[in-house]
Formats: sequence, C-alpha cells, structure tokens
Amino acid sequence: MIHGVGGKVIWVDLTKGEIEKRPIEKKLVEKYLLGAGYLSKVLFDSIPTDIDPLSPENVLGFATGLLTASMFPQSSRHVVAALSPLTDVWGESHAAGFWGPELKLAGYDAIFFTGASPDPVYLNINDSTVELLSADDVWGRDVFETDDILRKRHGKRARLIYIGQAGENLVRFAAVMNDRDRASARSGLGAVMGSKKLKAICVRGAGKIEVADPKKYMDTMDEFYRRMLANPFTPGRAKYGTTNLVEMMQHIGRLPSYNMRQGVFEGYEKISGETITEKYLVKPRSDWCCLQRCARYTSVKEGPYKYVGGSPEFETQSSLGSRCGNDNLESVLFGHHLANQYGMDTISLGGTISWAMEAWDEGLLTADDTDGIDLSWGNHESIVKLIKMIAFREGFGDVLAEGSARAAEKIGRGTEKFVMTVKKQEIAGQEPRAQKSMGLAAVTAARGADHLYAFPVLDEAGFDDEIRERFGEEYLPEMAERLNPKYKGIMVKECEDFMVVVESLGLCKYGTQIPPEFYYEDVALALKVHNGFEFTRADLQTIGERIVNLNRLFNARRGVTRADDCLPDRLTKEGAPLGPSKGEVVELDQMLDEYYLKRGWDNETGIPYASTLQRLGLVEEASGMEIPDE
Amino acid sequence: MVDLKFVIGDPRVCTGCMICVNVCSMRYLKVISPERSRVRAVRIEPGLDFTLFCRNCEDAPCIDACPEEALSRTSKGIVIVNNKKCTGSGSCVEACPYNAIRINPDTEKAIKCIQCDECIKRCPVDAIWMTTMRELEERDPDGEIWALHDEHSEELYSKEDLQ
Ligand code: SF4
Ligand code: SF4
Ligand code: SF4
Repeated sequence: MIHGVGGKVIWVDLTKGEIEKRPIEKKLVEKYLLGAGYLSKVLFDSIPTDIDPLSPENVLGFATGLLTASMFPQSSRHVVAALSPLTDVWGESHAAGFWGPELKLAGYDAIFFTGASPDPVYLNINDSTVELLSADDVWGRDVFETDDILRKRHGKRARLIYIGQAGENLVRFAAVMNDRDRASARSGLGAVMGSKKLKAICVRGAGKIEVADPKKYMDTMDEFYRRMLANPFTPGRAKYGTTNLVEMMQHIGRLPSYNMRQGVFEGYEKISGETITEKYLVKPRSDWCCLQRCARYTSVKEGPYKYVGGSPEFETQSSLGSRCGNDNLESVLFGHHLANQYGMDTISLGGTISWAMEAWDEGLLTADDTDGIDLSWGNHESIVKLIKMIAFREGFGDVLAEGSARAAEKIGRGTEKFVMTVKKQEIAGQEPRAQKSMGLAAVTAARGADHLYAFPVLDEAGFDDEIRERFGEEYLPEMAERLNPKYKGIMVKECEDFMVVVESLGLCKYGTQIPPEFYYEDVALALKVHNGFEFTRADLQTIGERIVNLNRLFNARRGVTRADDCLPDRLTKEGAPLGPSKGEVVELDQMLDEYYLKRGWDNETGIPYASTLQRLGLVEEASGMEIPDE
Repeated sequence: MVDLKFVIGDPRVCTGCMICVNVCSMRYLKVISPERSRVRAVRIEPGLDFTLFCRNCEDAPCIDACPEEALSRTSKGIVIVNNKKCTGSGSCVEACPYNAIRINPDTEKAIKCIQCDECIKRCPVDAIWMTTMRELEERDPDGEIWALHDEHSEELYSKEDLQ
C-alpha cells in the first residue's frame, strides 16, 4: 500500500462509454512516481506511434502527483498529457488549483480517456460514483459559464476541469482549464479534449488522505513553512506574483518584444508589475497549501476592457504586451481574461499574433489576408478582436488557430522567417539571447519550446550558493553567468531531471526552483512522511533521468532527432539588435554538444545510447527502435 | 461572564490556501480532509475567500438542540462535544445557524471548532485571528467583515452543501 494517495486510476473508453477503475500499480510508482512520470510511462505504452493527435486513437491522461493534496508548500498540482496536436510530439501541461487535491480526496490518482464520444459528454466523479453525463447543455459555452452551470448541478464545492470554445473548435493551442482561471495551457491539450467531445471533469471528494507518518507530519511541514516564509523571495512573490518579471526582464534584455526581434520594450513600464499592483490588483490568491500566492485576482473597472477575474501572469504581459508591441495594459489584462474564458494558451496566442504582426510590418501580410484587420504593432483593438476570432475559428482567426508554424506554412511568402517556435510550439517569454540556458532549455524540452521543462533559472538572479550546493564549486563562475554558454548543458540536464520529479510529485516550481528553497533531500523527506517511501537523492535523480529519457524515446519514435532541437535562425545567427544583450546570439551547438554528452545521448541523432537506456531500465521500452551504441 | 472567544477570518485578506483547514483535520484526526475539518473555506467571486468557524454564540442553539445533552460550555466559555454522549443525531447541525458543526462520517460524532489556535498560528497571511465581539468591534469599527458575511450568508451557511 502507498500512503497519501487516492489509490485508484480511472480508465474511460469514450467510444463505448465504458468506465473501469483499477488499483494504482505500486511497481510503476516506484519507477516513475506519479504525475508527469506516471503519465510518461502509461502514455508511452498506450499511444500508438503513427496517429493523428486529434484522432480517437490518442490517449489523454490526467494525473496528480505523489504529494498533490499533501501539506507540502505549493502542493496543488496536476498534469495533463497526450500526443500534442500543436507539436505532433509529447504534449504535457500542468496547473495548480484545487482540482487535483479534490480528485485525490475522491480516491483517485489519475484518469485516462481513450476513444472519442459520439456526443458531448463530461465525466462526473462523486467519491465512488463515476459516470459519463451528457454535456449538451454546456457544449458551446465558455469556461466561466460551464463552471457556473455544473457547480449549480453538482454542488458549489465541486471542482472542475473543462475546455472553452477554443478546445471545442480544435484550436491547436487550446488550454485545459480548471478552477475558473487556472490553465494547463501548453501543448494544445484542450483540443485533444475537444476532439474526444469531452467537455469537463467534475469532481467532488469527501474522503481523507492518510499519511505515512502522522506523528512527524505537522512538525515536518511546519519546518517547510517556516523556511518558505523566511525565504527572501516570498514577500515579493506575494506582492507581485510573476507580474514584476516585466521590469526584471527588461533590465536584463530578456523581454521578448516585437515578436522576437529584440529583448527590450520601450513601453515596459506601462505593462509592468508595479502598474498592475498599483491600479488593478484586487488581491493575491493561493491554490491548495500555497504560501507563495503568486496568483493574481484583478479587475479593470470601466471601459471596453472591463472585467474582474484571475489574471495575469508575466507570460501574458510579455505575449500580448511587449511581444505585440502593445503597451495598453488594460487590453493585455482583458486579453488574458478572454483567453481564460475561451480556454487558450496565452503564450502561443500572443506568439502567433505577434508573428502575424511582424509579417504585416514586413509587408508580407495585408488586409486582404486578415479580413481587413490592421495588424500594426500595438494595435490593441485588433489583438482583442483576433482572440475571439481564433477561439471561434472565424475568418483569419481560423488560420491563426493553427499556431504560427502552420499558419506560416499556409501563407508562405517568406513569413516562415518570423515563426518563433521550437517543434511548432511558440517560444515563451524568455528572449534566449539574453539568457543562454533558456535557449538550450527551449530546444531540449520534450513538449517543444518551453521554459518550464528545465526552468534553468539558477543563472538568473545570483543563485551562486545554490549552484555550489547543487553542482559544486568547480562550475562557478561560468554556470552562474547568463550570457556564458559554458556549463549550460550540464545545468539544463540537471534542472530537467529535478523538474520532472517535481512535476511527478504535484509540486510547484516556485519553492523548488525559484526560489531554490527545496531540493531532493527535502522532497525525499516529504515522500517519507507523506507516502512512506524511502527514496534517496540518487534514487530520485535516476527517476528524473528515466522520465526525461522516456519522453525522448516517445519523441524519437515520432521521428525527432537533433535536427529538430533547433531555434529560429534569428536567435542563433542575428545578434540582439539593442539592449543589455546587444550583439549576443545563442551558441546552441556548443551547449547541445555538452548536453547530449552529459545525457548519454548520441551527439548526431540525439537518441539515447543503449548503455544509457540500460542504466535507466528502459531497454524494453526501446525495443524495435534504432538505438545507437556509444 | 467572560467575553466569548471565537475565530474570525477576513475574506479580503485570506487567499484561500486551505492550510488552516488541513491543519485542523491533521491535528484532530491525523488525516488531510476538508470534509473532516472544523473550519470550512468557501471562495465566492469576485475575490472573496471566507474561512468559517464556530461563532461561539452566546445562546448556543446547538447546545439546546442536542437530545443527548452531549454539548456543553466549559468554564472557559468553549462549546465542546462529549463523545461518550454524542450519538450523531445531527440535531446540532440542524440548529446551528452558521453551519459550523457537523458529523464526522467516520466516527459519527459531532465535530466543531474549539478555539484551539493551531490553524491561526499557521495562516501565512494572518487572515484569521482569535477574537471576541468586543475585540472585533475595535478592530473593524465599520463592521465590514460582518457585512461581507451577511451579504453572502445564504451561500456561506447553506446546509445542502457542507464543505
Ligand atoms: S456550533 Fe454553531 S450554534 Fe453552536 S456555538 Fe458554534 S456557531 Fe453557535
Ligand atoms: S481553532 Fe483549532 S479547532 Fe478551531 S478550526 Fe482552528 S485548528 Fe480547528
Ligand atoms: S490559512 Fe489563512 S489564507 Fe489560508 S485559507 Fe486559512 S485563513 Fe485563508
């Protein structure tokens, strides 16, 4: 028996309308933990290689982590995964909130959906009751309406996951939303829900979580709370959430602006965290057992952009703000709110609109293409208009709903040059010429361009002590230098291994990576008192490596090689035109060489060596694949 | 008579993290279970996070309602449940105007906040504190906190959806 978990997994065959409950497999948990690791294994085994991500053959998984619903700081998270319709490779996304803990309290750790329903449905879970119900009356409704209707029906304490119209309309960057304004945004998994005609998962759990060591439990958590609250980062996080990253990123030239032409934005003060906090913040919010409280609850009180709700994140200030040359903050906030309402990833949304804006600026797109919409930099009315058109696939919105890579392929005329993606997913708000590790992280991340898979922030803000502790003195000062490519392969590799462990536990990267307060030893202690596992640091590191390698095999099976681990030419060949990182490019090849070497992957193909797979216990998984020998 | 103590939360300050809720069930039942906690957290948009405790009513209708006389007030003014007498009849649950007492589904005994302070110590934002009617009047002279509770009383105290 594993303590501290729900204990059961739900499998739903949407084609047949059949539901099965299975006990959680302890052997699997010992090898992959839960959350992201568990999904990486189960979906590796169950998603056929050559399928269309939007076909019924795709398998959609939801999982909580081993520490989701524990009392560890920031332990609210769940993971969603499937073959991604945006990248055509491994798709994974995470969110905080209360849905994950509620699922655990209902007695379940994960849910898998196979097939596709002929008619719209939602899954309703009320402790031992698990049923598919008709979603006819909520299909076509936005996230907030769906939340209102289903909580009225199933009780206001019900917690929900859902898609908005964007997911229904198969927008390739549609998000899976939960608890109104939380988003598993990346990888387009909302479209996978839409393709399966699955509108929502409603959960009510009145159960209890029995921990492994109730005697030591509260004392252990008290010490974690004390440390979290004493960390110098916590007050700032509580005050600004992620919003003041605008100021910090502007300062180091890492704020993507005008698509990704440059890393500084002259209008940054207008969209800054300071301005949001002063004028629009209602209050900071928390998810389950969160002491960092980065979530913002905000409102614009009047005018065309009036709303009240949960928003924004730095990523949106960057994607709908600086990246679109837009310094109209109210439109950015409202745009974020709309993206929540329709259920879309704001990073890909802004990244796609900004691609179109640069193409317009270069004269490659005209009013004939855009239904007459003016795409000049900073035209906030057009941005807001496009958000709705994309969610509903109206006119030019239908082209943009495919994401920038596919849209450019369709339009042609050289617009491909302005596509800022890796593996067809838009690069997030980290202009990598100003932080080299972010450039490497974006290309090695399993789900396509992504800052979170590795979240290599240790070179961002003077974490020399943590680098010393986590890596060793010999890597200083180079590893801590943002513009120095040296040792970034090593750093990204280690960060990835730890971060996938964190995603497998249901914890937040705030608290584990920035600030780097909790590390392997701390989560190992939590796993002991909560779940009764005796993992060492080395055990957990190996599990992390195993998960990353299995993600890589998943992608290799889909044809991914080193050639796909690449950045847009702009970032590797054209020096940053201005700002603190002026003249810098991303020295990607150098970093990739170091990364593959450290990983034990073939330098040419980027596929794990047989010896690496052997060491990680992944030989069986790789059977039938061409695996290089060292 | 001593001023009756009770715990109050400011819904404008509370972030909704539920740490207090979990602290309580862990402290008394050694489990994590909002259903079994003596404090309820209720989020009401836009932007309010209520944490709801026993108000320690002067007239304490829960005491009068109990057919087994399982509820009583201690010399310190705290309303407590005598587990030996409680049969889980639920009469107190019916009688409490604030939905602040409930039946633990495992033991079938009534549970309620006994003003022990454990959750208060751990609230990361100091949104909850031990108060009395007098202290609250001083701290919130315009009665804003009560007004917010009153405004949403129907949703906050409705019995059909405990927790
Ligand atoms: S349990 Fe209810 S009725 Fe009894 S004292 Fe507390 S609030 Fe009043
Ligand atoms: S004061 Fe004590 S009994 Fe009351 S809710 Fe808090 S922890 Fe529970
Ligand atoms: S611990 Fe504090 S902030 Fe968290 S829910 Fe309780 S009262 Fe609110």
